[in-house]
Amino acid sequence: MSQLRRDPVTGRWVEIAISNPKRCDEFDMKPQTKKGGKCPFCPGSEKMTPPEIEAVRDPKTEPDTPGWTVRVVSNKFPALKIEGELDKRGIGMFDMSNGIGAHEVIVENIDHYKDLADLTQDEIRNVILKYKSRTIDLENDTRFRYILLFKNHGEPAGASLEHSHTQLVALPIVPKRVKEELKGAQNYFKYRERCVFCDMMAQEQQEKERIVFENKHFLAFCPFVSRFPFEVWLLPKAHNHEFKSIDDSEIYDMAGALKEVLARLKSRLNDPAYNFIIHTAPIRDGVYEEFHWHLEIMPKLTDVAGFEWGSGLYINPTSPEITAKCLREACAAK
Amino acid sequence: MPELRRDPVIGRWVIISTERAKRPSDFNIKHADESEMECPFCEGHEKKTPTEIFAIRKPGTKKDTPGWNVRVVPSIAPKFKIEGELERRGVGMYDVMNNIGAHEVLIESPNHLTDIYQLSELEIQDVINASIYRISELEKDIRFKYCLLFKNHGLKAGGSKKTKHLRSQLIATPVTPTRVKEELRGSMFYFEYKERCVFCDIIRQEIETGARIIMETKTIVAIAPFASRFPFEIWIMPKIHRTDFMNIQADEIKDLANILKTVFAKLSKALNDPPYNYMLHTAPFRRTRRPGYWHTIEEDYHWHIEVMPRVTQVAGFEWGSGFYINPTPPEEAAKYLREVTL
Repeated sequence: MSQLRRDPVTGRWVEIAISNPKRCDEFDMKPQTKKGGKCPFCPGSEKMTPPEIEAVRDPKTEPDTPGWTVRVVSNKFPALKIEGELDKRGIGMFDMSNGIGAHEVIVENIDHYKDLADLTQDEIRNVILKYKSRTIDLENDTRFRYILLFKNHGEPAGASLEHSHTQLVALPIVPKRVKEELKGAQNYFKYRERCVFCDMMAQEQQEKERIVFENKHFLAFCPFVSRFPFEVWLLPKAHNHEFKSIDDSEIYDMAGALKEVLARLKSRLNDPAYNFIIHTAPIRDGVYEEFHWHLEIMPKLTDVAGFEWGSGLYINPTSPEITAKCLREACAAK
Repeated sequence: MPELRRDPVIGRWVIISTERAKRPSDFNIKHADESEMECPFCEGHEKKTPTEIFAIRKPGTKKDTPGWNVRVVPSIAPKFKIEGELERRGVGMYDVMNNIGAHEVLIESPNHLTDIYQLSELEIQDVINASIYRISELEKDIRFKYCLLFKNHGLKAGGSKKTKHLRSQLIATPVTPTRVKEELRGSMFYFEYKERCVFCDIIRQEIETGARIIMETKTIVAIAPFASRFPFEIWIMPKIHRTDFMNIQADEIKDLANILKTVFAKLSKALNDPPYNYMLHTAPFRRTRRPGYWHTIEEDYHWHIEVMPRVTQVAGFEWGSGFYINPTPPEEAAKYLREVTL
């Protein structure tokens, strides 16, 4: 027996297996083994990357030399280019623009073989601090409308380099997924005068069934309408539309929650490939009460096939209730 | 300088890398030896599938026995269940519904073939006719709002590990899926503004420029769309405005068979049998007569087929933004496919 569930934000339907679900030990995962070799993100290879933008480093050391713990550089093969004026135009019925934008890489630690899940809470805090400072810096550039922070872990999730890193892309337009989510949240707010994400958290905290982890400032849960097995969302408990206004105590708790969730996924699923994405409001857009920034983690355990592509209707073989239980117990096993 | 291009129907943006454009050989597709189990879809194995729903078969042969060209059976592992009434309810702030729907497999050949171009044009016509028949049958079930016809070719595209036997799938759903709604809404807005069908406009501009045309016959055209999300993405569209795939005419079926055979043969040769998804975009079943609801759909929507080769990984950026990065400009993909000799 399955159930169709509708996402209260985007209106997207997801089919979730209720009876006979796929259990966590049934996913045939091969761990993401790292080959090593010459890596541009390892200490000593600083000259292989474009010049450093920011770093957490020993004050006695020079930029682009060893001595750092977190390092931010431009992407060597950027999807978008930082130089130039925005030039939007039409070709007949089609619209286009030149590819202005920023594409940066945040190298999370010096050890080639350590992933975000293996770092300490303090180390992860330093990484999140860089997410914040880079976002604030790029938001000053008036050409940009959106800052997207995301991570691809493992080759099946699209990671092209093994060394653990997060990417940041600043875009001259507000992307479609973001618009969809915003519109959904705005419609909900118009009707109820409450934030849909705050309501979601209230219901999750009451039912408890889908909660994975909780600390003072953050709640990690498997969303009722999970598209993928082991999808986990991390929400700040205090309502806030933009990631960049996160304060120091929140950053510390976010680091703690992120570590808990990633480490549990790693131990339960044998180091799965995953993507995580920070969903935040567009720059200078006037959305405040309606949107609530959050982080979505999507493990890559199943293939997205023709049906999902054609319909936008996802089929999830493992219910979020089972997933959450499995991840809560992962803690006890540790 | 990379280019940002916007899809005129749903407004999705795509980044096209113009500098380090990837040629077909850059994708380097490898095929591991895949051991297959005994195939339940081959002729002679009819008892291994659920009972046949429909078949195009030689006169005098019986149901669930050999003698067929195209055979439609319920899926062995259905994603939706056909029995029961539709129930919708709320759980707190969330909405829930039971998974009523139909999930059928259209076996496109009695022989163990793996790609559509291996069929003759006449055989492809049978496949097209069988899908038209099944979609129109499913339309009679008032619980369904939409029927999606699609194909997963190759493991990376979600194809089965057990058998590669040539087939497509049909899923009828009780809701109009999100992606379909987006496209419908986009075409409706375009029509409201211009009083023309957006797809007809695309076809006109593409035929005029020619740079993105892959193949053209009298009634059907195959293009690499202006805002292709994926390298070698292909759209196949009827030149005459038609809302529903089910209303396709005999000469169009012939042309479509010809285009499918040629285009897939070229794609397979150019990229060494890449994994791909293929899906039919057609108008939803129209029974709801809410005033003004499907007001202009007959004029604003245009059925077509989208083919998405899966040679790049969809990563965090694409998931988060709905914004794709395509390393092969569609002009180059089209040129390459035009020039492939079979």
